[in-house]
Parts: sequence; structure tokens; C-alpha cells
Amino acid sequence: MDAVEAHEFIKKYDFEEVIVRKLSTKTQQVKFSNNEIDITNNWDETGFDIYVTKGRKIYNFDVKNEKDLEKSVINAEKALRLLEDNPDYFKINSEKYQYRSRSNRIIKISNFDISQFTKDFLEDNIKFAKRIGGTIYKKSMELEVVTNYNNFKDLNKSIEFNVRAFNENDIPTQQSFATSHDDDLENIYKVGEELRDHLRMLGKTVQGSEGTYHAVLHPLFFASIVSYTLPMASAYQVDSGISFFAGRLNQKIGSSLFTLYDDATDDSMFGSRIADDEGVPTKKTPVIEKGFVKNYLHNTSTAIKFNSESTGNAGIISPTPWQVSVEPGTEDPKEMIESIRDGLYIVNTWYTRFQDYREGIFSTIPRDGIYRIKNGEVIESWTGMRVSDSLINIFKGIEGVSRETKKVKWWDETMYSKVPYVYVSKLNITKSK
Amino acid sequence: MHNLDNYLNYLNRYSNFSEVYFSGTLANGISFKNGSLSQVSSSNSSGYAFRALDRSISFGATNEEEWSIVKEHLDRVIENSRVPGRNKLSNEGVFKDKWEVAVKRKIEDMALEDKISILKDIDQILIEKKIPMRILSIADIRQKEILVNSEGTEIEGDISKVAFFGVIGYYENGNFEQRFIQLGFSGGYEALEYWDLFNTISNEAEALKRSVIAKSINPGYYDLVVGPEISGIVAHESAGHPMELDRILGREMSQAGESFIKFQDMGKQVGSQHVNVVDDPTIEHSYGYYKYDRDGVKAKKRYLYKNGLINEFLSNRESAGRVNLKSTAASRISEWDKDPIPRMSTTFIEPGEYSLEELIEDVKLGIYMKSYNEWNIDDIRFNEKYVGLEAYILENGRIGEQIRRPTLETTTIKFYSSIDAVGKDLKFFAGTCGKGDPMQGVDVWMGGPHARLRNIYMR
Repeated sequence: MDAVEAHEFIKKYDFEEVIVRKLSTKTQQVKFSNNEIDITNNWDETGFDIYVTKGRKIYNFDVKNEKDLEKSVINAEKALRLLEDNPDYFKINSEKYQYRSRSNRIIKISNFDISQFTKDFLEDNIKFAKRIGGTIYKKSMELEVVTNYNNFKDLNKSIEFNVRAFNENDIPTQQSFATSHDDDLENIYKVGEELRDHLRMLGKTVQGSEGTYHAVLHPLFFASIVSYTLPMASAYQVDSGISFFAGRLNQKIGSSLFTLYDDATDDSMFGSRIADDEGVPTKKTPVIEKGFVKNYLHNTSTAIKFNSESTGNAGIISPTPWQVSVEPGTEDPKEMIESIRDGLYIVNTWYTRFQDYREGIFSTIPRDGIYRIKNGEVIESWTGMRVSDSLINIFKGIEGVSRETKKVKWWDETMYSKVPYVYVSKLNITKSK
Repeated sequence: MHNLDNYLNYLNRYSNFSEVYFSGTLANGISFKNGSLSQVSSSNSSGYAFRALDRSISFGATNEEEWSIVKEHLDRVIENSRVPGRNKLSNEGVFKDKWEVAVKRKIEDMALEDKISILKDIDQILIEKKIPMRILSIADIRQKEILVNSEGTEIEGDISKVAFFGVIGYYENGNFEQRFIQLGFSGGYEALEYWDLFNTISNEAEALKRSVIAKSINPGYYDLVVGPEISGIVAHESAGHPMELDRILGREMSQAGESFIKFQDMGKQVGSQHVNVVDDPTIEHSYGYYKYDRDGVKAKKRYLYKNGLINEFLSNRESAGRVNLKSTAASRISEWDKDPIPRMSTTFIEPGEYSLEELIEDVKLGIYMKSYNEWNIDDIRFNEKYVGLEAYILENGRIGEQIRRPTLETTTIKFYSSIDAVGKDLKFFAGTCGKGDPMQGVDVWMGGPHARLRNIYMR
């Protein structure tokens, strides 16, 4: 059953609006550690995610198997009668749209052999590292969305590769690669080169010292910070009050060098979409522009509530960001590092947690290359440190942005992101005592 | 069983070991946001997961049922198992059993309007307490699972769970505090009484309001008394995670990382003699309760740290097989379509013999930290941070004023080595533990008694 047939079937019941979202995914993954393959995973899944409404009542259900559809629809009809109005739900987009065609080519991606790549990568790089581990994904998705007014199909594929290597002193570094465009695929072969550069730089680590430092943040690090930031721009989050963006529209929260987009239109990444879940075409939305909070992310209902316009970010209940994009600058990453008189160059981070979502106060744990820089030179690598800071302090402290960007997607910490290197002043470092 | 047997027979023809797992779940959820009924949803999910072992381990999952599609999927699982790699599983017994979570008030018997009414009542309590930011949700799940493998194991499980999740935020005079409240229970809607839900929420709201107007401390060395919630998160983060054998062997090296504990460290000291940390999946109604793990191995209580010494790893058949050990039955999954890996269930510091009064009576200057807000730990589970939410100053053996955001930033060894007395109470808290790639968030409890640490740096 396709989404149009499912929509026709459900429309026969006592509903006003019916939104059917059918997602079919095929995913392969090879996972390896300490130079050997642990497991090869394969997922073939299809499911329907459905919203039905009556007046301002709305109900959501999903089914994995078509045989369960009728029973679930009958349950939904009963449930909807019992519900009260949702004052935050106004309507589904009713404007009819024509949709753009995707610009990315995915033939080479379709034919890419991830098992062979893993074998070759390990053979090529093992002589430079004590041990290597990582995951490589080959993903394929077919999305079909049908509303009472629109329907569209979207298809995308990706290769995503994350690898972590430990040098002879057992000090790790990590690189990430992700693309949904054949033109970028060759760059996967540069990952080993970058990994080897870092393995050479790492040397031995020493315990870091507390203090406030100038720092260059690698795209992997900065992508992680903005991946925690962007979802808070969802109007649902803002409306709840538990968001860094609440009450800050049009306020300056960053340096004029910092512009952050939600960009579903960059088809070269797997988070791209031609339209949102209610059929509104997606776009590139500046959330922070030259340091000012410019937009929240909206679906039709939140846009009405906020007296704004949909940004093409439905989620029917809660608007959702699609992809991170940070505006590149003009600087050369190497020169940015060389310009540090006394500071740090940090590759990656994890376990970011907020003690205060309103003020954006958080801490995060740098990893995979924390380099102490003096007079532009790496003098040692650090361990045992933590960034304990606030989003405003970091964003306002951006003093340089590279012209080079990297496309990264790492595990659960980082959204699909295209991000440059950034130079920040006054990064607050703490450590265990 | 018909499909399972057919699929298993097909895999068996081409594999040294094969396994088929079926799961069918019905889940329901309701959310309120600042007083508005925000989302009502249900989810009907089922599918099959497969493992085959030849030159390496191969895993597959599909919710397709048409044989031609399933066969194509199984062929790929078989083909992938021929890729060179690791291919050992520990030898375990053959188990044939059926188990279920004990339920008093069935999930199916709880009407939608009654669940909505519960959330409305909670919201009303929070409105009366003048809490402006309120996201509240209640969820339940009923799962039936069947596991069969080529060694003859056949396990059927019937699982019911209920969960509550709340986020509340409060500000006053420009200060803001937030609180995440998660409650979880294996069983039916008798969970509401077990949690003492309305009083729990009311107390949380009061503590949150006090914390906003509390004063910060002067950084320095204090005696620290931690409550069960802090005992629990520390046990989870710095005893449970570093004792996961797959992590120790490097299988998570490019994601959640490894462990400060090495395989050969068994018996080494990590804490004072007062420290016993347990992970026990057999505690009835615990959020991570199971009778058999996802590998079909019978669940048991494990002493991770015993008398301050490293004692027993959390392992599944894959990790135990690599080092010729028996599995400690920690194999779990978050959903039917995920590959099984070693996980915690209910992790806690085992109680001692002191009352709270006895723990604090000789503290001249200290801090009593009951709950936390921000926390994190590094990727070898050694450097960690906990920011207190509900916390009080201790002066001359008495609990004094509430204090704001006292921060403990310490190491695992320092924390456990500083414990000089452990309380006789025991309380559990629910959580969702993240690990794996793709990410698998599994239901856990964590907890413990009150415990006293001497001379700890706080800021």
C-alpha cells in the first residue's frame, strides 16, 4: 500500500484532515573496532506515521505493518472523539505546492561497497595507528507524504563514515565524513590522510589546566555545539519556555561573524528534505544572522500562534530542524591555529548537558585531539578537561570563521552539519579536583 | 512460531549459529505543554531480527512479511556473516521458558480519558505552585517477544511498562532553574501508587522554587553527603558503564568510548571497603527488569564493585565469547530492530548500616546534595561532573539552608575512595541509558542509599 492508497483508506473514516507519511528505509552498517570487523548490520523497514484531526482535535498513530492499519484507524477514530481541543493546533497547511527536484546525484553512492571500503581502509591505515575503530553506513530512504491538499515523494541516499584511531601512546583522534552527493564521495578517501595528520600531532597527553583560553574549534566540535542549539529554535520549544531562544528574538546573542541556518535545501546531506511533514516546501532559514536571533522554526500552527509564517519545519506538533549550516568566513584554518599565541585547538566533544536551558549554560567534554598551542605551534596534547561555559559566551566570542567547511555527522551527538572552523576567545575550561 | 521456525531453518542451513527474534509492541503516549493537551499518540510496531554467525557476526532486521522480501533479507544476512571479522559467542545453556512482568492494573484497562485526567491533575498542582513551564507526559507499552536460536533456546516474554516524564521550569528575580522528572515501572498502572505521583511532583516543584532563590557556596573542601539520586547516577556512570565488557574490549571505541578499567584489572581497588555496586535485572517491577536477556541467557544479580574492588563485568555472549568467559546476561536492546549489546538494568550502591542522621551528625561543614541537574563524564568514565539541584549546607551536624548549584567535578576513584559511610536506605530512580550505534536508549533504574564522602572539593 502506498501513502496515497493509505490516505484514501483513512479518509473514509470520520476525520477532517488526514496526513500520511510513509517512510521506507534500507540501511547497511559495518562496525569495526581494534582493527577488526565486529558486525555487519542490515535494516529493511517500512512504516506509516499518520495524523488525523477533527476541528482542533488531533491524534497521531504509527503502524509498521499494513495489516494493523484498519484496527489502528478505528482506534484513532474512537480516541479523537474523547479528546479536547488542542489550543496549540490551528490547522494543516492547505496551500497547494509544486515541489523542487533534488540536485544531488546518488549513483556512485548506490554502488559504493562499504564492506570493501572498510577492509581497504584498515589495510591502508593500520600501519599508522596502534588501533582503529569506527562505523560506516550506507543509507537509503524513500519518503512519501500525502495530505488533503498535497502529496510529494522524496528519495535520498548517503554514505556516512566515522573513524577513531589511537596513536602509539594510545591517544585517540576522530574524523567524520558524510555525503549524499556523488561529487563529494571521493573525499571519503581523504579521511585517512586527516586522521594520520592528527595521529602525528597527538604525541603524549598531559593533564590540562583550568582557565580561560583562546581556542580554534574544529568543525566536529562546533557542529556538536550548534547541534544542541538549533533544536531549541523550534517554536514548540520556545513556546514551552525551556529554550535558550525564548524571549531573545531579534536580540544579539553572538558575534557578527556568526550566522546559523537550518538548511533542508542542501541536498548533499542526508537531512535534506524537499518539503516538510505538512507539504510546505523547505528552505534555508537563518536562525541566527550576524549574531542576532532572526527566526524561530515553524510549522503552520506555531506560525499562527507566533503571528509568523511557516518555515517548512513541520513536525505536525513540534517543528523540527533538518540540517545545520554555519556561514563560512574568510580565514584559512591553518592560519587561524597559527594565530593563537596562547590557547587551544580542539577537535571533538561529547556529553553536552545543560544546567540552564534558558541561559544556555552547559558543560561538554572535549576529546579526540585537544592541542595546547603557544605562539602558533602545538606544544602538547591535553586530557582530563571540560568546557564549562554558556552558548552566549561562546557565540559572542567568535572572532574568526574559516572559509573551509566540513560536512559531518557523528553518532547521536551531531546532526547532519556543514560547519567551518571557528576561533573563539574566552573559552572556559574546568577539570576534576 | 511458524515464521520463526521457517526463518531459523533457512538461516541454519548456512550458518554456524543462527537466531530469530520477534517482537510486537503496542505503545501509547500523552503529552501536555503548559496546560494544553499537546499530543496523543499510539504506536503499533512489530518485526523480526536475525543473527547469523560464520566468519563474523551479521545482524538484520525487517518488518516485511512477504517471503520473497524476507528471503532476500536473510540471504544478505548470511552473505554478510561471511565477511572476515570476529566470530565468537560464549557457550551458554539451552533455555526454554515463558516469562512475564507481573501486572495488577493492566495497561489495556486504563482508559484514555483517565490518563488525560491524571496529567491534568498534575498540571493543576503545578499551576497552584505557580510553575510557569510544564511539559508532562505519560506513556505505556505492552510488548510480546519470542527468541529462538539454532542451539534450541526458546524464550517467550510478555512485558508491560508505564512511564512518566516531566520537565518543569521556574524563574524568579532573573534566576531560572529546571528539573527533569523521569519515573519508570515494569508492570501496570499500579505504578501511579508506587511512584506516589502527585506528592512526588508537588515536592519537586517546592524544591525547584527554593533552589532559584538559594545562595551559591564558597568553593572549597567540604564533607559531602549524597542522596540516593546522586548515588544512583554515580553508580550508573562510573561503575556500570566502565564495567561493560564490550566497552572494555573497544567495541564502542568510536562512539561512547572505552573504559578506564582494563580487562586484566579484575580485583583492583577503585574505592573504599564500604563500596559495593550492584547491577540487578531481577528486581521485580524495576524499569529494566528481565528474566532472560536478549541472548536468551538467564538474568542474575552482578556485583560490579565488591568491597571497593573490581569484581564482575557486564557482558553478553559476544563480548564474553571474545575472552572465553561466560556471559553475565547483560544483553539488551532498545527496540526489536537493534543489535544486542551489554547494558545495565538496575544499578545501585548497596546499602550499609547508617541512618541519614548518623551520616551527618559529625559533619562540621558539609554539603547535602539530594538531586542533580547537569552532569557528564568522559569517554573512559573517569572524570565526571554533577551539578546539584536540591542541595543544602551542613553545619555542625545539622541540615541548614538550601544552596544553589553546588558543583562536584571529580574522578571515579576519588569519589568511591572518599566514601567512609553508607546509609541503610535504598531508593531507585528511572533513566534512559544511551549507548550503541545506532543509538539505543534503554530503560534503567539507578539508585542507592545516602552516602558520606570526606573532604571533597566543591564549587
